Amino acid sequence: MNVLTYGEIMDCGVSVFSCVVREDAGSLFVSFTGVVRVDNPARHLGELLADLRQALPARAIVRTVIDFTELEFCNSNGFYIIMDIIEMVYAAATGPVLIRRLEEDDWQQETLPILLNLDEAEVAARTNFEEVREI
Amino acid sequence: MSERGVEGPGSSGSWSGLSIAATTNIGVSVTVAPIGDIRGNLATLLGQTLLDLLGMFYPPALGKKVNVAVTELIQNVMANVLDEDSALGLDLRVDADALVVRVRNKATRAQFEAVRARVDALAGCPDPKRLFTDTLRARRQDGLGGGLGLMRLVAENRFRLAVSYEQEHLTMQAAFPLLRGTP
Repeated sequence: MNVLTYGEIMDCGVSVFSCVVREDAGSLFVSFTGVVRVDNPARHLGELLADLRQALPARAIVRTVIDFTELEFCNSNGFYIIMDIIEMVYAAATGPVLIRRLEEDDWQQETLPILLNLDEAEVAARTNFEEVREI
Repeated sequence: MSERGVEGPGSSGSWSGLSIAATTNIGVSVTVAPIGDIRGNLATLLGQTLLDLLGMFYPPALGKKVNVAVTELIQNVMANVLDEDSALGLDLRVDADALVVRVRNKATRAQFEAVRARVDALAGCPDPKRLFTDTLRARRQDGLGGGLGLMRLVAENRFRLAVSYEQEHLTMQAAFPLLRGTP
């Protein structure tokens, strides 16, 4: 498994959020972990976006998994950075995208589909959900 | 007292509560004064603390709702502080009927009217989720952050919002019905 890029948000000297993008034999894995509470997450994750913009087009990605199950909280400023990352991944990859999300989480059930742009037929056709129950 | 209210999707008949088996009642009140002494991210601290507290008694979904409501409502207050010597009040109540979060702060009548207008706009909207979606995309397009807090509470978390004004203080209330004994 090759780590393509990694980004994190530091708040008061502590890492509170990370996004890791891995690639292995045509499969792309994107994971979000922690909490997005800062006012300007784009300021923290600009390098991640630049890395993705450069690295993804060169890869032949046929299957993608985006994992939100470790994302504990996302403020409304965080919506936009999540959208930026998702759009880049959908544009660069072909084939199906599996979204792993929490079964009992209002944000992941109600707002995440908006951020994914699921009302676009092409996006909806490529997207499947794995509902994960929190223990 | 002036008051305006708006429900989540239930205003159109589909608003449903969260079913929980726990019978514990919880009430928490926090007052901070003067508000000018707040140095760190109080919204985060209180939201996370209450999430942890409720996690002891209720399913995670309930604590998450409280976390979002407390975070969004207190962030709104901190972004619009009128008087650094005034107080900020937070009340949380979870009982057999509902989860209720109230945040109280000093405000001008003009500030109250502005909040009331936003609450009224949500109340008059037949499809809060469509409004939330359109607003989110428009604000992203325009490079604007925030501005989604109240909308999020209604469209995403299905809270019923109410706003009132009394003795120069604005109180925002977010309420969500609970269905006890049905896990």
